[in-house]
Amino acid sequence: MTADAATGSTSPFEATRIVSTPTPQARDPRDWTSEMLSVARARDRECFMRIYDYFMPRLCLYLRGLGAAEMIAEELAQEALLRLWQRADMYDPSRSRLSTWLFRIARNLHIDRVRREPNWIQVLDEPERMDMDDESGVATSAESYAEHVDLKSRIDKLPAIQARLIRMSYFEAKSHQEIADELGMPLGTVKSSLRRAFLKLQGDVRGTP
Amino acid sequence: MTPCHHLDPSTVMAYAAGTLSLELGVVVATHLSVCAHCRRQVRDAERIGGLLVEQQQAATIDAPRRESLRAAMLERLDDAVPALPPVPQNDAESADPDRLPKPLHPYFGPSLSALKWRWMAPGMYCIRARRSGGGSLFMLKIAAGKSMPLHSHGRSELTQILQGAYSDALGHFAPGDVADLDSDVLHQPVTVPGVPCICVAALDAPLRFPGWLARKLQPLVGL
Ligand SMILES: [Zn+2]
Repeated sequence: MTADAATGSTSPFEATRIVSTPTPQARDPRDWTSEMLSVARARDRECFMRIYDYFMPRLCLYLRGLGAAEMIAEELAQEALLRLWQRADMYDPSRSRLSTWLFRIARNLHIDRVRREPNWIQVLDEPERMDMDDESGVATSAESYAEHVDLKSRIDKLPAIQARLIRMSYFEAKSHQEIADELGMPLGTVKSSLRRAFLKLQGDVRGTP
Repeated sequence: MTPCHHLDPSTVMAYAAGTLSLELGVVVATHLSVCAHCRRQVRDAERIGGLLVEQQQAATIDAPRRESLRAAMLERLDDAVPALPPVPQNDAESADPDRLPKPLHPYFGPSLSALKWRWMAPGMYCIRARRSGGGSLFMLKIAAGKSMPLHSHGRSELTQILQGAYSDALGHFAPGDVADLDSDVLHQPVTVPGVPCICVAALDAPLRFPGWLARKLQPLVGL
């Protein structure tokens, strides 16, 4: 899987983005903060639909990867984006990047749905509300645009097998054992490669070297 | 309760991504209910997931379908906002020693003292989850000062201590601690004297007991 053409490895906006407060002008498509703030403050439908147009097909691909049939993936992606619209007033860019929030909502909707299948009953009301995050009050500048770009390049720089395992881990409805079987690797190796990759990337998402 | 033994980052990632088996996920959620450290790890893993979703290519949805989904979304923007569930009162709950962690309620009920233990072997009791999918989810009660059979695990096992404690080659495990094991580990937990050790465990695949215990235990617990 490759990032699409809109992802540059460098950005002319990088320097200003860190210091400026978000403005409602069109921005780099990778930074949705200002659109989301317009949605939250002014119920701006156009801004929301820009977010929708970008994320809808990407969430569908993620959900299909988790094993949802095409129609179900579309249904869940629609639902996730509707929640984003409905809960927009809870959005706080200092706490969470939009994509993190949306990812979590879509993932939870998928898990809830799986759990409602015949053998399962619902287990958790996993919080999709930001006020329940541990990091409330701690400004996560770690999710600023610039650091996100760094994270992307850091993923690109991971050893190929680690990058592959990361993507398989997030986008395929497979257990670590199934990944190990498919790649002909011992389970312990799959886990330790993922562990190393996570620890490297975590330094980036937390904004520490 | 500040746990000392945490989830493996690979488990955190699978949980955050939504790809962990549901049984293992219940034990993860139980651990997260008492561990701020691992909650932060999950959060970091969700950031990585968000980034990957944002950067990936878009699914191909044919144009008429895309238009009709878009129109449906525009129509729904006026839908009523569903109410949020109330914020759970974690402090009050964790203060009650008889109350099981919330993620376990659908499988074992809310009360520790109301559990209906089933004899498994001398000093060992077990309860299987009321409902589960392909793997196993169960609670174990092991008498104080007891040595468990030596075993390894076919795939992944997660065990979270709720009460009492045990030690094995990996260390000392007390309430809140989670043991995140895979097939590389052969272990023989010994419970501490004084109180029985109660834990919740999930397996991706059958336990492998060597020797006579395999014949004795496996049919009983159906592991
Ligand atoms: Zn932990």
